[in-house]
Amino acid sequence: MHFDLSLAIASLPALFHGLMMTICLSIFVLLLGIVFSVPMALARMSKRRSLAWPALVFVIFFRGTPVLVLLYILYFGIAQFAWVRESFFWPLFADPFGCAVIGLALNHVAYMTDVVRGSLLSVPRGIAEASLALGIPERKVFLWVRLPLALRYGIRAYQNEVVGFIKGTAIVSVVTINDLTAVANGIFQETYDPLTPMITAAVMYWIVVNLVRLGFAGLDRWLNRHHAPEPASRTRTRKAAVA
Amino acid sequence: MRDISTPQTIDVSLRDVVKHYGPFQALKGVSLEVAKGETIVICGPSGSGKSTLIRCINQLETHDSGDIVVRGITVDGTPANTRDVRIEVGMVFQQFNLFPHITVLQNCTLALRLLNKGTKRLNEEKAMYYLERVRIAEQAHKYPAQLSGGQQQRVAIARALCMEPPVMLFDEPTSALDPEMINEVLQVMEDLARGGMTMICVTHEMGFARRVADRCVFMADGEIHEIAPAEAFFDAPESPRLRGFLDRILPSTAHS
Repeated sequence: MHFDLSLAIASLPALFHGLMMTICLSIFVLLLGIVFSVPMALARMSKRRSLAWPALVFVIFFRGTPVLVLLYILYFGIAQFAWVRESFFWPLFADPFGCAVIGLALNHVAYMTDVVRGSLLSVPRGIAEASLALGIPERKVFLWVRLPLALRYGIRAYQNEVVGFIKGTAIVSVVTINDLTAVANGIFQETYDPLTPMITAAVMYWIVVNLVRLGFAGLDRWLNRHHAPEPASRTRTRKAAVA
Repeated sequence: MRDISTPQTIDVSLRDVVKHYGPFQALKGVSLEVAKGETIVICGPSGSGKSTLIRCINQLETHDSGDIVVRGITVDGTPANTRDVRIEVGMVFQQFNLFPHITVLQNCTLALRLLNKGTKRLNEEKAMYYLERVRIAEQAHKYPAQLSGGQQQRVAIARALCMEPPVMLFDEPTSALDPEMINEVLQVMEDLARGGMTMICVTHEMGFARRVADRCVFMADGEIHEIAPAEAFFDAPESPRLRGFLDRILPSTAHS
């Protein structure tokens, strides 16, 4: 058994197609994560029990359920209920992509809620107090002081979550989605060569994950430019490095 | 400092202010009137309620009972009055509490911008004026982390001044500073006091209190034990608690 380069090259178009599915799915769910995790974190931190408890139950339930089980329930289980099949949402649950997005998003949002909550809690209380003392209304303090600072504290935890999430999408092949892993597996079934398509797929995952990592490193540098040495000394080091 | 030739108007008035943290009574009915332009220094052992008292004035803490009136605004915890009083009262904290992610200049203009006051250019001019006054204008485009503690605290003062409040609260403004940086901050505070600002300062800087304060207040266990003009406060303290306190914190010759 060896790595078959010509098979790898011949598989590239199909694998690339699968990769696009993986990326598409990831972007969809990550966007949902950003949209829903902030309100969920706020609900979880709320003093009102009617908000805090449902959010807590949501987090505990969906963090504790394996994504695989969740996907089986959504794709095979829910269709057993006639009222779901007659409901407005049925097209979403009938579609494997819809099920995958919902299943992954429930899990991702549950994790993200605590990432966002932890980041908001690590913003020093005094800085929010100083904003209030200046007469800035609470809502604007949240939007312009606490949230931007929380983003800076949380960006590394978020990067971990995103990288883990992208690789975790490989699980959606169980609901018939042709993502990168499913396509690689298909090529293995056809050619009886497990090594070539899987290694090629692994390289593709590796490239995507590292592009994401580079993107985050750049974002992190830009967001945390206030911790950089002062501009004068920075240009000096850069010139020294060039020379 | 107060101009004693004109009749007094009262800028801040506290009457029987009571505050609990759970079963612990932090303020046991505190009354104090601060005249326009007056500089008040509050001192006392830690846990005596000094910080709680000034934090009640701008409602960073809500008091349980008693009356607080700031320049005609009754501080009663309603959102509208809380907003109004915070515009009238600037505050400087022990830990500076600058916004770390924006420049010194932006620190000074953020509140103006978020409250839709002035234009960008006017606000920046105003910020530069106050940064000039605290003698730090040349650092306007740096980030807080690039400044020393004393410089950060002066920026914090400029940031509060940009809202042009008639009253300023200082909550132990020099307690987190290295000794060599304390004077630059005290000097800025002294300039403000001489410029006619109404100031309430919680501080352990007794030299500053003696030099700048119109009246000094001694608090212990949530109560005011003594209020006196600075000279009498240090040279002829009446209450035994204050005498004991001064004995512990001052060199023995200072108030004999």
